[in-house]
This record gives sequence, C-alpha cells and structure tokens, in this order.
Amino acid sequence: MKNILIGIFIAINLFGAPRVGDEAVKFQLPNLYDKDNSLKSQQIQGKVVLLNLWASWCSGCQEEMPLFVELQKEYPKSEFEIVLSSIDNIPQSARDFLAKVDKERVLTSLYDGDKTLPKAYRCPGMPSSFLVGKDGKISEVYIGSLDDDAILQLKAKIKSLLGK
Amino acid sequence: MLRLVLVLFSLFFVGCSEHLVRVMPYEKEYFSQDKMSLSPLGERAEQEGHIYLIREASAGGESAFQGGCGCR
Repeated sequence: MKNILIGIFIAINLFGAPRVGDEAVKFQLPNLYDKDNSLKSQQIQGKVVLLNLWASWCSGCQEEMPLFVELQKEYPKSEFEIVLSSIDNIPQSARDFLAKVDKERVLTSLYDGDKTLPKAYRCPGMPSSFLVGKDGKISEVYIGSLDDDAILQLKAKIKSLLGK
Repeated sequence: MLRLVLVLFSLFFVGCSEHLVRVMPYEKEYFSQDKMSLSPLGERAEQEGHIYLIREASAGGESAFQGGCGCR
C-alpha cells in the first residue's frame, strides 16, 4: 500500500507543471529571424531571464510587448534578458508584429512552432511569462498579460534577483 | 487490493481528461481568426459567444471566448 502511494506521488510530480522554485525547462530553439542560429537554455544560465511565451494572434501578448521592449532597454543583457518564444504557426506573423513594436530588435526572439515550451509548462493561458533566476530556478510565474503595475512589481523582483 | 489500485488510478487519470477534450490556450490560433467569429459584429459575437458557452457548457470552442488567448 505504501509503495502504491509513493508511486502515485512520484507520478503526480512527474506529470505536474513546473512551479515556482522548480528548475526551469531546458530548451533549444531557433532564432525567429535566423532558423540556423539556435539558442540553448544553458547559454542564458547565470543571468536573470524573463521567458515569455507569446503569439501574434493573442491580444494580451500584443499589449504587453511594448512594455517588454522598454523594460529590456533598462537593463544590460548580461544581467537581465527577456527571451520571447513565439508559438505562431507561421513565423512571419510573429516577425511582422515585432517589426512594428521592436524595430531595434532589443528582445531575444525564438520560434517554437511545435509549442514545446507551452506544453512543457502546461500553460493555462496566453501569454505566459516565467521569471527565472541566476540559479536556473523559476522565481515567478505570470499568466496573462502584464500591465504597468505588474511591470513595476516585476522590476522589484528583478532587482532582488540581481542582488541590487 | 486490485480494486483499490484501480480506484486510485482512475482518480489519478481523470485529471488527464480535461487536456484530452479541451482546446489549450496555445492551440487557439485558428479560433482567434476573424472568420471563426460567430458574427461579423464584435459586440454581437461576444453576446452570441456567451449564449453558446451557456448552451453547450463548453469552453474554448469559439473565437469570442477569451479572445483566443485564454487570459481574458
């Protein structure tokens, strides 16, 4: 009986979505603008990362994107990096949208056509953002779009994660 | 004992059923297209979508629901 309960507990944990405090999902995704150039999650380890799962057809994602551009401009990428992962079926749609809001290509943009990250994180909503600390662990999960107030709270969180 | 195992497993796997029948938020790209709207008029589409949800007791089956995002 004890073994069965332990087995069920392990199974639930294995199938459960990553939560705050858990290790962030490892990935390797191609760049949105250059499919031959991919980014591994190990390459961004050691800095604070905001992983944003978005799509050009999602109105909430469209609303928060200009705020992300402004936020990224406030920090050097060596300390804090916003990594966008587009789940559009057609990557050109994502490129077209970003051409309007992120002309200088400030944000790191990846393409996840197979939707591996939302599946791994079992996203209950779009957009979804995950703040990952220097240790590679999830520090905060944001479901839905972030507004100005949420960005202020996010900045405070980034500051504490950067140890400033 | 076997019965208990079956009951526990059925309770555990019932959690999977939602993912099998529900369109996940990240799968709503086609639902968010204008042509999937119940009505070409925005307000009317929202109203019809609301009635549709009540009538069908379903979620995510049409574009007006949460704007296709799952967040609103």
